Amino acid sequence: MSPRQRLVLFTVAMAGLAACFAWAVAGLPGFGNYPGPYGPVILHDAVGQTHATGVVSAVNFEYRGFDTVGEEFILFAAAAGLSVVLRRLRDERESRPVDNSNRLPVPDSVRVPALIFTGPTVLIGWWLASHAQTNPSGGFQGGIMLASALILIYLAGEFIAFRRLSPVALLDAVEAVGAGGFAVIGLIALAMGLPYLDNFVPLGTIPGAVSSGGTIPLISFFVGLEVAAAFVAIIGEFGEQTLLVRRS
Amino acid sequence: MPSLPVVLPLIAAAVLLAARPLARYRRVLDLVAAGTSAAVAVLLGILIFRTDHASTYWFAGFRPAHGIAVGIAFTVGPLNAGLACVGAILMTAAMVFSWRYFTGVGTYFHVLMLTFLAGLCGFCLTGDVFDLFVWFELMGVSAYALTAYRPEERGPIQGALNFAITNSVGAYLSLTGIALIYGRTGALNMAQIGAWVSRHPPSGLVVIAFVLVIAGLLVKSAIVPFHFWLADAHAVAPTPLCVLFSGVMVELGLYGIARMYWSVFGPGLGHRAAIGRVFLVLGVLTAVVGALYCFRERHVKRLLAFSTISHAGVFLAGFALLSPLGLAGAALYVAGHAFVKAALFLGAGIVLHRLRSVNETWLHGRGRKLPVTGALFTAAALGLADLPPFGTFLGKGWIDDAAGSPAVTIILLACTIVAAGSVLRVAGGVFYGLGDPPREDERMAAEANEETGETDSARQRTPLTMSVPLALLVAAGLATGIAAMVPRAGDALLSAAAQFQAQPQARPADVTVSSVVTGLVSAAGAVGVGLAGLYWRRIPVLRGRYEPGARGTGLADRFQSGVINDYITWVIAGLACLGGVLAAIIRLRGLAPGSRRPWHASDISCRRRSTTRRP
Repeated sequence: MSPRQRLVLFTVAMAGLAACFAWAVAGLPGFGNYPGPYGPVILHDAVGQTHATGVVSAVNFEYRGFDTVGEEFILFAAAAGLSVVLRRLRDERESRPVDNSNRLPVPDSVRVPALIFTGPTVLIGWWLASHAQTNPSGGFQGGIMLASALILIYLAGEFIAFRRLSPVALLDAVEAVGAGGFAVIGLIALAMGLPYLDNFVPLGTIPGAVSSGGTIPLISFFVGLEVAAAFVAIIGEFGEQTLLVRRS
Repeated sequence: MPSLPVVLPLIAAAVLLAARPLARYRRVLDLVAAGTSAAVAVLLGILIFRTDHASTYWFAGFRPAHGIAVGIAFTVGPLNAGLACVGAILMTAAMVFSWRYFTGVGTYFHVLMLTFLAGLCGFCLTGDVFDLFVWFELMGVSAYALTAYRPEERGPIQGALNFAITNSVGAYLSLTGIALIYGRTGALNMAQIGAWVSRHPPSGLVVIAFVLVIAGLLVKSAIVPFHFWLADAHAVAPTPLCVLFSGVMVELGLYGIARMYWSVFGPGLGHRAAIGRVFLVLGVLTAVVGALYCFRERHVKRLLAFSTISHAGVFLAGFALLSPLGLAGAALYVAGHAFVKAALFLGAGIVLHRLRSVNETWLHGRGRKLPVTGALFTAAALGLADLPPFGTFLGKGWIDDAAGSPAVTIILLACTIVAAGSVLRVAGGVFYGLGDPPREDERMAAEANEETGETDSARQRTPLTMSVPLALLVAAGLATGIAAMVPRAGDALLSAAAQFQAQPQARPADVTVSSVVTGLVSAAGAVGVGLAGLYWRRIPVLRGRYEPGARGTGLADRFQSGVINDYITWVIAGLACLGGVLAAIIRLRGLAPGSRRPWHASDISCRRRSTTRRP
């Protein structure tokens, strides 16, 4: 197709699809009129059944925990896939790492806040990932924050330090433990004669306490490990692509 | 136990990644990956025979109460467990085949193959719309990365990009459809949505949600005009991966469409005859287009890819008949096709390993030193041509019976003859040196000669780890047909199809004389087409015109352009047409606005199985 033909066909087709979509959206209930039973049922039951006050976490790691296994492994596969595509090839030579700070000095106004915020980011990320039963986020968000802490170091111009803190072998191992740990927790329930991913850990007496939620904080912690390692690996791979010159 | 086919490969993948320092011991990786695949195949085999009726498995023990599901369910029946089992068998064959195949292969190849297998099993077994999407994506992400396994070359990167972008656009549209139907029904469980949809008159939302949900599946199953990515990806993907792409991934897309239709949308949409006809037209169109492209191709892997497209059209036609016999025929055809197509790709892989080319022109006569591979490849090609007793002939026979229309039978027969005939042409030319050496086409030769990076050097012998899986797959193709001819097995398959559709089983599954005759005619015709392709220049009427293999100009290449923008445009255009046609069908019979069912929060709560220990 010539670009012109393509544009004409695309415009016409897109208009048709948009009309279809508009027709469909017109059938949705009005704004604020949630029709389904799912939300109210969960709100009604979740705290009592799981002893987790973070109901979003209860849905993510308990009611629909099996989806989360899949989502976690999508990230796992994406990180592994990126390593495949961006791996150093047999006939490529790597030049010495170029320290970015010499050529392109990072101003102190970026450097100082980045380093100052690193500590608190680690703390908050850790809290989010390991206390999913009481806060509304859990491992995915917590893991992203943990990864951001390392990325702040990178942002401060310390790519070499960033790479030294996160060697590929370690990242792979952490990712594997995080992703595999989740799957194994489900398997333990199976070994106890329960359905896969059933909450086999005592739920604690007080909903919302640190010890409440059974497997929810455990799973969330493993997810946090996986997500943090995967994102650091991804950023690292891209960083290497731009900072290390590869010649074949 | 239904969770294990998904969980085992995931844990194995994590273990392999954790043990990356062990990657030097390549055989450990191979053993773990092949062993896990084989174990999954056995587990799924047990599931097929343990479930004579669909059994439902609730994760974390959240069983539905008052028709409301809060958890995720696997709904395991013979058909979906069987499809996953075929996938696991092909995965095992692919892993054994790659034992001596790759050289620079690291842990990541095995890890991604295992996550692909987990996604495949989850997609087949799940009974939840969103869960289906999750496993669909896991399968997709693994497949994109594996396609780009040789990033040092231009071809794989471009093929993988076409594959990833086209399929991702489809997946996003699917997710939009899921969001629409969830926004209206508040449910993700297939049975629960199905119950809601059949209680309400079909609305625009339901129709368009159906079209959008199957968008990603249409792209995956390479139905015209959503098919363009497939040949580009197959041509460049590592051969063991092509086995899975052609043997099972395309078919999974079709299974997804059938599942969405029968478990979720179909009963509520109504207008069954008209909707079936729409899919029948799509299927026949796909079969014709695939067969024509297949015939003109000289790049062996691309040729096999186009034959897959043609066969996907036949599968869709079988589903589109919307009768148990049609679906049972399609299921049997899928199984029979999976084994012989996998065998053909393994044969192509051996040729690539030994002769370092997949260019039919260059290979002409050079395959004579591979007599065993040649014989097995030819046998598999005859299986593709529906030769009895390969599983394909009976599947096709049932589809023909169910269609009950001579026109459909003849068109599908012609497509099979042309597609399988092209494969037989390759077999005759490459392995037996029959006919005239084809003319060299520069562009195609350049493309086909890029295919060298998979193995280290041409070996003098074909390793047993390559030829044994090939032989076993051909045998499995034969066994499928022989097993299905046993009346009890045929009836079991038919009743499984009827149960999948929640329809009564109307008739017994017979091996009719006409299906045997059609199979023989098809095989003979394919041999004829193959010979005609080889002796093209000696056929007086043609005088050498329209010879297959001239690429670079012409109408066909303007469609199959390799440009992603074109492919996406076709996806959007196809969806707009499908949406318009289905909307017209529903509209013509009158459309009542969807009534809102009042819902009472007070009397509903979900139940949890009491086996959980409480402090």
